[in-house]
Amino acid sequence: MKFLKALPLFLLLFLVSCSTQVSDSVSQTNYKEVEGINFDEKDKIDTSIEDKVYFDFDKSTLNDDTKKILAQYVSESEKANIIRLEGHCDERGTREYNLALGEKRAIEVKNYLIIQGVSSSKIKIISYGEEKPISFGSTESDWKQNRRVEIALF
Amino acid sequence: MKIFFIILIYCFSLNFEAKLKIEIIKGSEQLPNIAIVPFKSNLGRKFEYDVRNQINEKLTLFGEFNSLRLDQMLSFPYNEDSFYRRDWELLSMDYVVFGEVYEEAENLVIYYSVADIALKRIILRGDIIGDKENIKLITKKISDRVYESMTGLKGVFNTKLAYILNPEPNKYSICISDIDGDNENILFSSNSPLMSPDWSPDGNKLAYVSFEKGFAEIFIQNLLTGDRETIPTLGMSKSAPVWSPDSKNLAFVISMSGNPDIYNYNLKTKKISRLTSHYGIDTEPAWSPDGKRLLFTSNRSGSPQIFEIKISNKRIKRVTLEGSYNARSRFFPDGKNIVFVHGNNGFFHIATRNLKDRFINIITKTTLDESPTISPNGHIIIYSTKKENQGYLAGITIDKKSKFQLPVKRGSVREPAWSPFLN
Repeated sequence: MKFLKALPLFLLLFLVSCSTQVSDSVSQTNYKEVEGINFDEKDKIDTSIEDKVYFDFDKSTLNDDTKKILAQYVSESEKANIIRLEGHCDERGTREYNLALGEKRAIEVKNYLIIQGVSSSKIKIISYGEEKPISFGSTESDWKQNRRVEIALF
Repeated sequence: MKIFFIILIYCFSLNFEAKLKIEIIKGSEQLPNIAIVPFKSNLGRKFEYDVRNQINEKLTLFGEFNSLRLDQMLSFPYNEDSFYRRDWELLSMDYVVFGEVYEEAENLVIYYSVADIALKRIILRGDIIGDKENIKLITKKISDRVYESMTGLKGVFNTKLAYILNPEPNKYSICISDIDGDNENILFSSNSPLMSPDWSPDGNKLAYVSFEKGFAEIFIQNLLTGDRETIPTLGMSKSAPVWSPDSKNLAFVISMSGNPDIYNYNLKTKKISRLTSHYGIDTEPAWSPDGKRLLFTSNRSGSPQIFEIKISNKRIKRVTLEGSYNARSRFFPDGKNIVFVHGNNGFFHIATRNLKDRFINIITKTTLDESPTISPNGHIIIYSTKKENQGYLAGITIDKKSKFQLPVKRGSVREPAWSPFLN
């Protein structure tokens, strides 16, 4: 669990440097942020807070409604061991790009939660890109539901 | 040997019918007219027609030729002595295929010829010996040669297609079938998403992304043994694997804290080296045929656009300038042209472009098109698209003269990956 304690530092470094630091080898890193997120859905903590926040096409920026929802998670997250953030996209555009975009969305949510005081070591992110839509149609109302980050507490 | 490799690893068969059968949806009126005459045989009528019909099936697979019906033929030549050109001039034929099939010591021996009516000469004379039980493979090889004699392009009838099948929510399979849809088999199945299949150019391995461990992980699966290996890094999101032309390296994407960049993995030395570093999204690498450059998608300029990196000095230049969304590119075998997904006003089409000019040639009309894959002879593109909430595959020849689709009976199919030439 030691590496988890180092995570805030990593994140701070990331935010400050904006990733300008380049390492030419990654095999030695102990960065394990997204490793092994197979949760038992039975262990999910029920909350009354909206568990999905939504995004514009090809965007990862949080709107004011989203920020209001996320703020409610700050006190709630104290009960949880883990906060899982799942990034998703609508079907438009390409799959690998959307995988990256879904991750950007989850990261935006994560960063906002951290700024609000949530312990970064509790937060696990994963992106499914466009692979796991909620709505299978091809209209704006389907797409709107699919461009999301799902928040779950465990 | 490669013909048999798939069989070894497929110890379980499909429990859902998903067979992809190519349906021609548009053939141009200017297609060449061909006649494939029943082959003469001492083995009886069945062989005469089987060989002919199988060659006919292959040559017309992608809708590239108009094939003359048997009842319209005026004569049935089987060698040059019995071939009368005027019979075929009368029928406005461009090419005539004819030949003989014999049995010799348990093997089939097939002699075949192609006549070019306009050139007034025989442009191909060939013979092939093969196992009597494997007419399908023999006729594929004949079809490849015949196709090449008529078009100047190597035939792709003995190639395969890998794709992701999603028969129901939360059920995903990577399938491989012959390019004509036969012999569909599952390579790997999972309850978590599978993505991005890519053939090694030697035809021995398939790389793909699986979420089975709870995050995006790249697997390299040996098609001979079924063994799977991963890239030795600690758990981070890894995606978009693509093989180098020499099958020795894999370009792929590692994302650290939402910052995906392009890396290279050398399979022999197990060394990972970083190619791009930018705080935006860098993904979807694609090798040039000479292995010296990579195309990739980046949103470093705001919206997703295609860039090119020279591997020796890591110099990057922007490739696409027009439109707000250009992504998931692949080189044609000539190294001069590329195919990619072009988004315009929320519509996504497959487009091609010569790297030397700026003209974007949009080749599809449907609006949710993605994942183009190019036939190894560079002539045909298969891509995924969507209709009535179902993903399906469609194809088009580069000259746009022929269009086809590969529907499935149930579920969605996507992310086609055309194999290299297989021998």
